Amino acid sequence: MTDVMQVKGLTFRHSDTKRWLKRPEIFKLGPIEMSVKRGETIAIIGENRAGKSLLAKLLVGALAADEGEILLNNELYNARVKTSSKEQSRTHDIRMIFQHSSEAMNPGIPVGRILDEPLRLNTRLSDVERKKVIEETLKKVGLLREHYYYYRHMLSDGQQQRVALARSIMLQPKVLVADEPFAALDPSIRSQTVNLILKLQQEMGLAFIFISHNLGIVRHIADKIVVMENGEIVESGKTETIFRWPQHELTKKLIMAYQSLVPQQTLR
Amino acid sequence: MPMLDIKNLTLEIDTGQGMVKALDKVNLTVNSGEIRALVGESGSGKSLIVSAISGALPGQWRLTADRLSWKGESLLSMTAEERREVMRRDIAVVFQNPVTALDPSATLGEQLEEGIPDEFIEGRWFWQRKQHRKKIAVSTVHKVGIKYHKHYLSAYPHQVPTDICQKFMIAMALVSQPKLLIADDPTRGMETTTKTQILKLFTRLNQTKSLSILFVSHDLLAIASMSHTMTVLYAGQTVESGKMKHIRKRPLHPYTKALLDSAPSFRTNLPPKSTLPTLEGTIPPLQHMPIGCRLGPRCPRAQRDCVVTPAVRRIHDHTYNCHFPLHMEKL
Repeated sequence: MTDVMQVKGLTFRHSDTKRWLKRPEIFKLGPIEMSVKRGETIAIIGENRAGKSLLAKLLVGALAADEGEILLNNELYNARVKTSSKEQSRTHDIRMIFQHSSEAMNPGIPVGRILDEPLRLNTRLSDVERKKVIEETLKKVGLLREHYYYYRHMLSDGQQQRVALARSIMLQPKVLVADEPFAALDPSIRSQTVNLILKLQQEMGLAFIFISHNLGIVRHIADKIVVMENGEIVESGKTETIFRWPQHELTKKLIMAYQSLVPQQTLR
Repeated sequence: MPMLDIKNLTLEIDTGQGMVKALDKVNLTVNSGEIRALVGESGSGKSLIVSAISGALPGQWRLTADRLSWKGESLLSMTAEERREVMRRDIAVVFQNPVTALDPSATLGEQLEEGIPDEFIEGRWFWQRKQHRKKIAVSTVHKVGIKYHKHYLSAYPHQVPTDICQKFMIAMALVSQPKLLIADDPTRGMETTTKTQILKLFTRLNQTKSLSILFVSHDLLAIASMSHTMTVLYAGQTVESGKMKHIRKRPLHPYTKALLDSAPSFRTNLPPKSTLPTLEGTIPPLQHMPIGCRLGPRCPRAQRDCVVTPAVRRIHDHTYNCHFPLHMEKL
């Protein structure tokens, strides 16, 4: 399998503008090294304020990094320069699902127009073709064609999540980045979404990078786990390896905390 | 002897097109010294029950119950003063969404110290009392696992991360040393390590001070690790209720089974990346509740009889509301 995406030495520095007598708050992310294979699922775990959401934003290019480069399909995309000639293909190949997916949708326009936006801005399809693509995608995520005309508030939580997913796969991306996609969902809706993502991965060969606190789901769907602390990757590896033999202190702590919650079925 | 005893609690809301039953004959008891989990998805009325107990419902909603009693005294027939006294001294509530539940115009320390009852404070003179008040506040804050009390006690809610706010809510609930703690989704949005910390604190309080806890959540993992008994709600109806052990081992209601199956952590033999078993469809909105058993349209075992609301059935202390429960294998 070939690497869809390679991240080399990605760094981001955040510092407040210095005010009188105030110590500037310094946060440094990285350097991050990562490689993503086709159809692979990578989970990013870690405590709050470890820079997980920031990393996700850097990966999709929502924020410009200070140093380092991202290779997508062996095309160099220099993360430091925000506007580049390769911008166009990058936005096609990597898409994001935001943390609060329902709030990340415009309540004033119907679902169809929400989904139309990425197509209108990035492709040269005509109106009729675009509508066809949207309807196909809606069906793919388990919604109906009629949902084209619905507004955000008319949909339930699970359906909103599906729309968010539909929007992100609109341009047939190769990599999907999601920031806590399952956190706000109810158990039954959550497993529906998990199933849907697994199905889409099989169909489209998507690589899926997601952030989650729910280690049960991480264990279930992730191939690889990346553990972050204070803006650095402290451990990464295969899911089973990390769960069985955690090396770093933080990983041990997280896994222990998770194991202490899991009912002791295995012992009996 | 149950401390909190709720029988056939019905809450009707006027939506403009007739009354809608947001809660339909809910039964719930919390015995002394027990951790009872109240499980349900969003829209199942968990938080409504919490507000009904704490008396925080708007006046135009109609609340009826055969029994809504605290230690044998009916909460519904009490005067407002008596009820407030019960809420002040015996029951403490941790509300959902801590950032909005806290007062944005006062520091966390002020809010916490305000909640300390006067008789806990020793000292004759005001400076001694002030010192002691502060001492109690600091020790409570330490108890819930906040380290830098100096920083956080003088901070305003918006300056503080959500999980610290959540811990403060718990501290504020515990500071009056209640008999019953109602925690409405206390572990939401917390990472696993903080969550275990809070759950351990609850378990410890339950064991040492025999504090009863009504733990409202949909985080089955947290619930299974600490609670003794469990009540499952679906769309405003009680679905199943009984000992945690029994429900885990053999759920009788299809919904409980689906809920347990949906958590991959419970299944050790589940191959990675396999599809998870789910119920089709979504939770019905309040305006379009199905008649009879509200799970009806989503239930894999539904039959014609399900349009009649199932009565409560009982096997020892395990109650369930279903016409075709899972242990009766004739279909």
